[in-house]
Amino acid sequence: MDISYLGLALGLLLLLYPILIFAHLKLKLSRQLFISVGRMILQLSLVGIWLEFLFNQQRWWLTLIWMLIMIGNAIFTVKGRLKYQGKILLPVISIALFTSSIIIMPWILIMIVKPQPLYSPMYVIPLYGMILGNGMNSCALALERFESGLADNWQAYFTRISLGANLWEAALPPFRKAMHAALLPQLLSVASIGLVSLPGMMTGQILGGASPLVAIKYQMMIMFAIFSGVTITDYVAIRLYLKKRFDKFYLPKGGR
Amino acid sequence: MIVPQAAKMAKEPSSAPDYMKLLQIDIKRLYFADKDLARDIKLEVSTQERILIVGATGTGKSSLLNTLNLMNQSYEGEILFEGKFLQDYHPHELRTRISMVMQETYLGDGTVQEALDEPLNYAALKNADHSDRKQRLGELLESFKLSLDYLAKRVNQLSGGEKQRIGLIRSLLLRPEILLLDEISSALDQKTSGIISDCIFASYPGTVIAISHDPLWQERWDRTWSLEAGKLIDNSGVK
Repeated sequence: MDISYLGLALGLLLLLYPILIFAHLKLKLSRQLFISVGRMILQLSLVGIWLEFLFNQQRWWLTLIWMLIMIGNAIFTVKGRLKYQGKILLPVISIALFTSSIIIMPWILIMIVKPQPLYSPMYVIPLYGMILGNGMNSCALALERFESGLADNWQAYFTRISLGANLWEAALPPFRKAMHAALLPQLLSVASIGLVSLPGMMTGQILGGASPLVAIKYQMMIMFAIFSGVTITDYVAIRLYLKKRFDKFYLPKGGR
Repeated sequence: MIVPQAAKMAKEPSSAPDYMKLLQIDIKRLYFADKDLARDIKLEVSTQERILIVGATGTGKSSLLNTLNLMNQSYEGEILFEGKFLQDYHPHELRTRISMVMQETYLGDGTVQEALDEPLNYAALKNADHSDRKQRLGELLESFKLSLDYLAKRVNQLSGGEKQRIGLIRSLLLRPEILLLDEISSALDQKTSGIISDCIFASYPGTVIAISHDPLWQERWDRTWSLEAGKLIDNSGVK
């Protein structure tokens, strides 16, 4: 069921309630509301027009270019969130996200979804967006936790290397903690799904007319793929970061 | 006295063929960030020597000590251990042979036994002979005036002096050839500091290089190295 433009305008009118409440409370959020909603409308309109074009074209190279733009955006988003070690982060994040993309995407496209043609953008782009988006958020969290795990306890790190630990052995405790911190929220969200709110992809499919039984199968598949992709991304990112962060004597480069 | 093996002789750099020397230090410049700490430090250390490093704060005592187990690379020059460049050793193996005890040793948050066993998880020690470890641990605990009950205690129940003794025992269990001590008694009372120095001198046969301000420690050393105004003065045999 399509929504008419008049309908959309009526939807926008719902924002009158927050505006009235903000005014009543003298809450300074109205400006931000206009900016945020304005940006959202502009971005989504452009993406809608672009995706409409992309889906109609059905060209493998257009799909690929769009995927590269997506991953480029993801890489710089992660880098922007981490406020340290700028120089070494770019290759670390890039390789981590590329690795998980290359493992996960062909797997689900070739073996599970099997769209015709395989590069069909209406399947590839939304699925990749979900995998990449989760990988991006988790990667930023994992690297942030790993670095803060080191910084919180350099004493422990230096004690371990002075007792004969190699780099891997000395860095394993903060590595474990970072993986735990980055993956636990993912696992909790896997466990709670479907009970309160339906996940976005499932909602979209059901509203779009798909049977709930088809929708849950997609949802399960995407959850498997997201969790696997996130774990691979975080693991590769911290391993590479570790290599770049320390020298061959296991001492931190550029100080503590 | 160490009898050099043929294989070891082949690796000797031709410039300084003195096999008796455990350490040969030839540091042209020792620095920290942009600041020069000392220049032209030329020293040789034999087995079983007991050396005390003295000097005011900021003269580079810790930097010097840390160069000896590859924990500090801010220097120009060469350091040889048993005739081989320090950098040619695997850092993790070298650090079990030249072992450092720091001012604040990290013992984790488990029991004393777990803290002492931590190094056994490391690849550098997997192939070492641990058959007499239990017996040696018993002897070390006794000489450091700690009972066997301590093994079951949690680390956070220990006093500062007890922690420092456990840290020392953990390093001594690695059987290092050289023990580096960085101000290990600075936070301890005189009595505990005395027990620790007595024990090191009585139960550890290897080379000790220590930084300490404790007057109790000052008397029993074979040598003192004093760092002053960018120079190191070597007082051999001063007691």
